[in-house]
Amino acid sequence: MSISELEIITNNTEKDPLSELKRSITIYDKELAVNSFKKLMMEKTNPLIILESMTEVMRLIGKAYEDDELFLPDLIGASDTMSAVMPLVETEIHNSGAEVKSLGIIVLGTVLGDIHTIGKQMVGTLLRADGFTVYDIGVDVSAGKFIDAIKTYNADILAMSALLTTTAYEQKKVISIMEKENLRDVVKIMVGGGAVTQEFADSIGADGYDPTAPGAAKLARKLIGR
Amino acid sequence: MPIRGLKGGMLKFLNDEDLKSIHFATLEILSEVGIKMEHKPALEVFTSFGANVDFDNSVVKIDEQLLNKALSTAPSRFTLYGKNETFDVKVDPERVYTIGGSSALNVLDLDGNYRPALFEDLIKFTILLDKLEHLHIMHAIVIPSDLEEYGVDRMLFAGTFPYTTRNYYSQSQTGADGVLDQIKMAAVVQGSEEAVRKNPMFTEVVCMVSPLQHEKINSEVLIEAAKNNIPVYVEVDAMPGGTTPAPIAGTLVEQNANVLAGIILAQLVKPGAPCIYSIASGLMDMTSGGYSGAAPETNLLHCATAQVAHYYNLPFQGGTGIDAKIPDAQAGYERAMQVLSNALAGTNFIHLSFGMMEMMLSASYEQCVIDNEIMGATFKMLKGIEVNDQSLSIDLLRKVGPKSAHFLTFKETSEYVRKNYWVPQITDRNVWGSWKAMGGKSMKESAAEVAKKILSENTEPMISREQTEEITKLAKSFHSKALERLKKKNE
Repeated sequence: MSISELEIITNNTEKDPLSELKRSITIYDKELAVNSFKKLMMEKTNPLIILESMTEVMRLIGKAYEDDELFLPDLIGASDTMSAVMPLVETEIHNSGAEVKSLGIIVLGTVLGDIHTIGKQMVGTLLRADGFTVYDIGVDVSAGKFIDAIKTYNADILAMSALLTTTAYEQKKVISIMEKENLRDVVKIMVGGGAVTQEFADSIGADGYDPTAPGAAKLARKLIGR
Repeated sequence: MPIRGLKGGMLKFLNDEDLKSIHFATLEILSEVGIKMEHKPALEVFTSFGANVDFDNSVVKIDEQLLNKALSTAPSRFTLYGKNETFDVKVDPERVYTIGGSSALNVLDLDGNYRPALFEDLIKFTILLDKLEHLHIMHAIVIPSDLEEYGVDRMLFAGTFPYTTRNYYSQSQTGADGVLDQIKMAAVVQGSEEAVRKNPMFTEVVCMVSPLQHEKINSEVLIEAAKNNIPVYVEVDAMPGGTTPAPIAGTLVEQNANVLAGIILAQLVKPGAPCIYSIASGLMDMTSGGYSGAAPETNLLHCATAQVAHYYNLPFQGGTGIDAKIPDAQAGYERAMQVLSNALAGTNFIHLSFGMMEMMLSASYEQCVIDNEIMGATFKMLKGIEVNDQSLSIDLLRKVGPKSAHFLTFKETSEYVRKNYWVPQITDRNVWGSWKAMGGKSMKESAAEVAKKILSENTEPMISREQTEEITKLAKSFHSKALERLKKKNE
């Protein structure tokens, strides 16, 4: 049971920074997370180990959410905490020149006119936990910005979120621009958000849709054939 | 750790004046009209306490003093024992529990067939019900059509008791001998008859006749159970407008006189004998003349009877099957209104609340699972609302201030949700697209999946195979002996 494994992490009395970092994700303590990371850097800990420890906790949380043991606020709290530290970890990995075994590169964003972040953030966190490299380019993202990011990061997957029925059509716009720029065949497109349905996703020519954050992570694996 | 149920009683249809009026009316009926008791030894018990008994007409009149004396020893709290402490139920006039069962003749099976119940169904239903979280007490849900009826309670014991972890709600069709046979069967698991009498893993129910009559067998069973410390559900099954007066208050009086007479007898035989004030009354449908378990009037009657029983500090069993034939909208609304109102009224045992359809004539596998879900939602409401400095959230509101905020992102929310959230198992809350994508299932279909999964993964009894075989052997022997006795009596 994921929740009992999480409880072990939460109740761990070991004060070493790696245990504290893991614990910070289960108790949603951003300050503890950042401070623990800094201590780990002072001890010259391999950033790949830090990444693996964090994503292990996030995977357990995702599983517990799927099993109805944890709920939305927990998913958000954990991914919020992860977001405070992930950029720091990624920078360290980049600086160290280490090879991260990545399942694929994903560009993630909420479409133009839409500023909803919570669902997108959860998806990003779970995708990272699953082993993807995720570039979350934020909210209110224009088609042009999506295309630029795809080219810059050499994305395998584009993941777009829309919560409003009025903004969901932006996703269609992005796809048609990608077709014009001959990018459509080299990038898989997945869409999501409260305004999106399977029918809508099919009608705009997306490669995949899922209504839940854990489902999105599974869909991403399917799209790249893993 | 034993089970300590949630407390009900917030729903009160009767006020203190009403309860007093019902009490005084009952005293008048008991002392001036009396109760017919066919069982001579029962009448003799009353004579020995100075009560007014008319042996020619088998009527006993019980006055206020005798009532007060006897009820003063009736326990308001006791334990009903399961196979181990985790399933022990702590009974009192406040806590709410559920009982499965009982006695359906037909089955609506998972292939959609409506057919007579078989012994195999009894075992399968028991296995299924035993895995449902909100079921506290197990009662045999069907009467197998493939067994001889007289003395079949022995075989019901063999088809239910071994397959459940819960305390077993039993009955004896044939009289005191049934109680003694069942003690012997329970002893196979409990070690000795003495152990059974000390902490019995089963109970008995006796069903009186309205208006105001106790049949021979029921008094016999009542007395034998009381003597052996087996708790008794003293039950009345009134039909307002049929066997009792149409106004609910009139039925409350009849039920009260009838049930209390039984509890008084138990106390006179053995002071301190655990008794549960019980009804399975139902409105008489005035178009068909049939019984309605789910009519709103029935709900009113059961809720009010809870108050009457609690007036005497006695635990109360209410609730009955629903009228729907299939797990449809009728079944949903009938069961929900019935169990929610009973829980809020403080019915201590909501009986027949899992799977019983068609005025208790049939049992549905899917409905068992659906009813468990309805019970979960009911218990969530029964838990009520906590108002304290923390839940008032003043400091959080002050911290957030008059600007946009997403309480979903706060730690306070995740802590609260984790402790307090009710997780539906087969209730769908998705939008159409997601629901369709996941199969677009009706609640009945989801329930069928759960039932099939439980039945395919669980086939064994909750006690050892040897003990199960021993109990079954005894049951068969007791059953055929009872049939022999009946044959001889009729010759």
